[in-house]
Amino acid sequence: MYYELLEDVAQKSKIRDVNSAVKLILGLGCILICVSSGGFLTPVVIALSISLVTIFIGGISLRLYLKLLLVPLGFAVLSVLVIIFVRNSGDVVFIYDLSGLLTLTVTKGSVNEGILVFSRVFGGMCSLFFISLTTPATEIFTLAKRCKIPGFIIELAMLVYRYIFILIEEAEMIYSAQVMRLAYGRRKGSIESFGMMSGALFINSWESGERLIGAMDSRCYNGKFALLGEPESFFCPALIASVICLVIFLWIMVFTANIEFYGGVIR
Amino acid sequence: MNSLIRLDNIEYSYPNGLKALKGITLPIEKGEKIAIVGSNGAGKSTLLLMFNGMLKPEKGAVFYDGEPVSYTRDALRDLRKKVGFVFQNPDHQIIAPTVYQDVAFGPVNLDYTSEEIERSVNEALMYVGLSGFGRRPPHHLSGGEKKKVAIAGILAMNPDVLVFDEPTSALDPGSSESIMELLDELNHEGKTIIISTHDVELAYPWADRIVLMDEGRIIKSGESGQVFSDEKLLREAKLSKPVLLEIYDSLVGRGMPEQEKLPKSVLDFARMIDGGMLNEIKCDRCGSIFLVDADRLEGESLTRHLDNYLIEFTGAMGSYAKKKAETEGIVLNFTYGVIDKCLLKAISGHNSLIITTGGMIQRVMDRVDEYNRECGKDIEVIISETALN
Repeated sequence: MYYELLEDVAQKSKIRDVNSAVKLILGLGCILICVSSGGFLTPVVIALSISLVTIFIGGISLRLYLKLLLVPLGFAVLSVLVIIFVRNSGDVVFIYDLSGLLTLTVTKGSVNEGILVFSRVFGGMCSLFFISLTTPATEIFTLAKRCKIPGFIIELAMLVYRYIFILIEEAEMIYSAQVMRLAYGRRKGSIESFGMMSGALFINSWESGERLIGAMDSRCYNGKFALLGEPESFFCPALIASVICLVIFLWIMVFTANIEFYGGVIR
Repeated sequence: MNSLIRLDNIEYSYPNGLKALKGITLPIEKGEKIAIVGSNGAGKSTLLLMFNGMLKPEKGAVFYDGEPVSYTRDALRDLRKKVGFVFQNPDHQIIAPTVYQDVAFGPVNLDYTSEEIERSVNEALMYVGLSGFGRRPPHHLSGGEKKKVAIAGILAMNPDVLVFDEPTSALDPGSSESIMELLDELNHEGKTIIISTHDVELAYPWADRIVLMDEGRIIKSGESGQVFSDEKLLREAKLSKPVLLEIYDSLVGRGMPEQEKLPKSVLDFARMIDGGMLNEIKCDRCGSIFLVDADRLEGESLTRHLDNYLIEFTGAMGSYAKKKAETEGIVLNFTYGVIDKCLLKAISGHNSLIITTGGMIQRVMDRVDEYNRECGKDIEVIISETALN
C-alpha cells in the first residue's frame, strides 16, 4: 500500500477502544459549540485542545496531522479571503482600485467576520479529524445498531466498507500493471488507460458480487450479520473527562461572548 | 454404500458450454484425508463445489450419508453446515468488516445464542492461532492470516467435512506448513478433509488417498505412493513426480532393492540411507546420451534416429524441438530438466536421446563433461549424424 487512509490511522489509534459513543459525544459537542460561538476565541481554544488530544492521547503523528489539516484549511483561507473582500460593514481599513473595473474594499466588519468563519472551520475540522482519526468505521457500525438504525442499512454499509478496500487494492494493481506497460504517458493515452481501468474494475466488481453471494450462501447466510460486542462501558473516565471539557468550552463561549476584536460588528 | 459422501457419475458443464466434469464417481469415507490433484483447469475446483451443493450436477447425483442431496434452500443450509468450504482466495470469502464479525457470520446465521456465538468464535480463533485479532479489519492482515480467518470462519460452524480449495496457494512455506498441520490436527479430531491442489510435494506425504484428475475425469484414485509412482499417468495429468519418489526411483533403477514402503518424508528417506541401502548400488556400465539437432534434419524423419540406436528414453529441449517431436508423434519422456534426467538414466545404464537445436548442443556437451569430471564417470555423448553430414 502506497497510501494511508484515515481509516487505517484510526485502526491504529491509541484510544481506538474507548467507547465510540463517548468519542462521538466529544467530537460532535465541540463542533456544535464551534458553530454556535459568536466569538472567534472559543473555536480556537477547541481546535488547539482537541488537536492536542488527537495527537498526544490518540498517538497520531504530528506531521500527518498537519498534512491532513492543510487541505481543509487551504480551502478555508481562500473562502475567507472572498468574505473579507465581499462583505462590508464598519470602517474601511483598506481600499484598492483595480483599474476602474473593480474596487476591493476591506472593512473592520469583514475582517472580523472572516476571522470568525476561519476559526469556526478550524475548530470544526479539528473536531471532525478527532472523530475520524480515533474512531474506525467498524466501531460506528456497532453504535449505529444501538441507535436503532435499520439492520439492512448497516449490513449494506458493512459490505460496502469491506469491498471498498478490495476495490482500492484491485485498482492499485491494475494501475501498476498499466504503468509498467507504459500507460498514462500521453494525455490521450492516459484517458484511454483510465477508461480501461474503470472498465476492468467494473467487471471485477460485478464478478466479486457474484462470488460474494456464493461465499455467503456457502456459509448458510440467512439474512443476519454479526456485530462486534461493546468494547468498553459507556460510563467510563473518558466520558466524565469529555463532559468536563465540553462544559469548559461552553463556559468559555459564554464568557467571551462580549469580547470584541478589531471593532467587530457582526452579531 | 456407507460412504459419508458419494459422487455418482457426475457431469457438469459451465454456462459457456465448457464441459468441466465428465462422469465422476467418487466415494469418500468418514475421517479420510483426501487430496484431489490435477493441473490447472483439470476440474478440481468444480468438483469441490459439488460437495456442498454450490453447483448442481447436470447428470448423476451427490449422496451425503447415504441420502441424495436435495437442492432446496433448507436442505442446502443443512448440508453446508455439515460440509464447510474454504475458498482458495480468502478475500472472496471474508465478508464482514472485522475478523470477529466474519468468523461469527456462520454461527449467527445458524441461529446460535449469543453465548454460543461468542464461544464458537473464540474457540475457532484460538484454534487457528489468531486470538486477539477479533477487532482487526481483514485488509490489515497478511495473506496467511487472512487464510486462517477464512478457516476459522468455517470451523466456527463445526462442520463434519472440510473442503479446501488450494489451501496453500499464495502462502509462504512457513504459513503453508502451519496450515497443513492445522488440517492434520482437524483430521485427528475426526473431521473428514478434502483438499484440491496441484502441488504434488504437498499432497504426497499428507494425503491418505490421492485422486488424480485430468480434463474433468478421475484418471486414478488410490494410496499416494501408488498414484505418484505411475509416471505415464502423471505426465498425462501434466504433473511431476514428488522429488523424494524421483530420487527413490532413480536409486532403485541403479540397483537398490525396493523397499516395502515408499519413503514419504525426509525421515523415511534418511532411515533408508542409514539402513545401508545405498551400498547395494552397483555401477558397472553407463548408458550413452545421443543428440539430434532438429535444425539440421532437412525434412528427414526423427524416427530413424530412434530406431538406429537402443534408445530407451527421449527428451526434447527448446520449443522448436518439442514441436518437431510432436508433429512426428514421438512420445517424449522428458520435457524439462532434460539433461539431468538423461544423466540420471545414463548412470543407471540406460541410453537416451535428446532432441534439441543449435547452441543447446554445446550446452549438453558441457554439462555432461562437467558431470563426468566431477563424478569420475564416463558418459558418452554421441551426436547422431543426420543424412546431410
